[in-house]
Amino acid sequence: MGAWHNANGTLDPVKVRAAYPILATTPGGRPLHYLDSAATAQRPQRVVDAVSNYLLTANANPHRGSYTLGQMATEGYEGARARIAKYLNVPASELVMLGSATEALNLVARSWGKANLRRGDVVLVTEAEHHANLIPWQQITREMDADLEFIPVDDITGEILWDRLDSLMKLKPKIVAVGHVSNVLGSIAPLAQIAEAAHAVGALLCVDGCQAVANMPVSIPDLGADFYAFSAHKMGGLFSGGGLWARADLLAEMAPIETGGDMIRGVRLRDADFAEGTQRFEAGTPDASGAVALAAACDLLDEFGRDKIHAHESLMLERVLRELPEVLPDARILGPRDASQRAGLVAFSSDLVHAHDLAEILDRRGVAIRAGHHCAMPLHEQLELSASARVSVAPYTTNDDLDALFAGLRDARTVFER
Amino acid sequence: MGGMDDLYREQILEHHRRPHNQAPLAAPSVSLEGRNPNCGDVINLQLQLDDAGVITDVAFSGRGCAISQAGTSLITDELRGKSVDEILGLGSPFVMELLGVEVGPSRIHCALLGLETTQKALATLRTT
Ligand SMILES: Cc1ncc(COP(=O)(O)O)c(C=O)c1O
Repeated sequence: MGAWHNANGTLDPVKVRAAYPILATTPGGRPLHYLDSAATAQRPQRVVDAVSNYLLTANANPHRGSYTLGQMATEGYEGARARIAKYLNVPASELVMLGSATEALNLVARSWGKANLRRGDVVLVTEAEHHANLIPWQQITREMDADLEFIPVDDITGEILWDRLDSLMKLKPKIVAVGHVSNVLGSIAPLAQIAEAAHAVGALLCVDGCQAVANMPVSIPDLGADFYAFSAHKMGGLFSGGGLWARADLLAEMAPIETGGDMIRGVRLRDADFAEGTQRFEAGTPDASGAVALAAACDLLDEFGRDKIHAHESLMLERVLRELPEVLPDARILGPRDASQRAGLVAFSSDLVHAHDLAEILDRRGVAIRAGHHCAMPLHEQLELSASARVSVAPYTTNDDLDALFAGLRDARTVFER
Repeated sequence: MGGMDDLYREQILEHHRRPHNQAPLAAPSVSLEGRNPNCGDVINLQLQLDDAGVITDVAFSGRGCAISQAGTSLITDELRGKSVDEILGLGSPFVMELLGVEVGPSRIHCALLGLETTQKALATLRTT
């Protein structure tokens, strides 16, 4: 089973930790219990090595150098694109490499949206979206005089009310944009059902996959999506990097939103012809080192096995969901109670201890969690919360990390129940 | 856990549990909502001033972490009798002294929410 697994084939997080040097460091003199991988994942040594190897042995401007080193740089970049495409089970020719998921979602809204939305058209999103899959739609619907409508959430649990889909489809949306896994609720969206409902009324489905791609198997062709955005830094890649997969026929018709070098076929003084395929959307010198890093991260995640990552993370989440109410009885868990409906994270609030105070007290034990609105302010408004505390897990999360989490939660109770 | 005991001292927790100056003013001279956009801490502050520009009464309501709410409670206790100029001259050392603890960079915005909202509210009075 290789270096990362137990004899019975399950993922062994203790072995996995060896791939991430930062986990052995002691920030502030305390052992690190990193439970904020949903914000950004830790970087494997292998990813850093791949970047330095590329920069120290194959560095030249990709797509431009006709000399041998230039070809090596281009091959490194295009090889990385092919590797990332394989990770998502899509053709490399349909994968646009960008700086972030935010860029990818802005590209869909501003390019596809600008060309296809008309006055009165409807764009449908959920009330739980990350700002990156909300604000671009606010902007483009305002610009095109189109309407933005919402799939509501339950006011108490925050769970997205997918059973409203059928009646919302009567609005005949042009596009439905949803997160694959909610970065607050942790819930996995029923994409097959959503795709069927959307396609039945001629709508496209745009999926924000940021919180899914590192935590569970994702084969884009099986999802029914028409657009799929993801982010490198949530997968162990660098901060810069992300991408957009789009159906080939959609991509062929989309106009670039950024123009300049590298994305052209021919340029005259007063106009230009744009390159075909993905290159049209990648103006300027590409972040080749970021792509190489992400390809190395994909290699490692596939060695772990994404089904095995998901199984391990589910065990961790099950424990959090089971023990949290015992340790902090007033905890209000957001999203489904059942770990099998989740991937990667659990967020909660408590009237006794505010999320910031909790994060501060946990930090004294080296436990790093996220406190705030997690770039989903409207969802928190809907739940009448100013903030929530989010625990997120990764292949390298151990029971030891969760022990420290629960010890810190007990500290917080002691302080606030005084 | 020494640092934690400092930040979550009994005095701060007491202000968090029972914040002062919660009774809304009937006719405030100025009201302002203050927010920490990254954290979601929020307060609604009301100030009453006399003709000489001295604060005569203050009230707030809000939700957020203990530091933001206790910090606001503590600062509102200090406002009555002070002039606009005096208040505009106050800075973070004043709040740290009230809290009795040096607040680190990750929580400083929580600690200063009350003072900064007061100063912004007074600045709007000036410009109108
Ligand atoms: C669900 C979701 N969408 C979008 C983003 C934004 O991704 P990026 O940081 O690549 O712009 C994030 C991460 O912050 C996220 O969690």
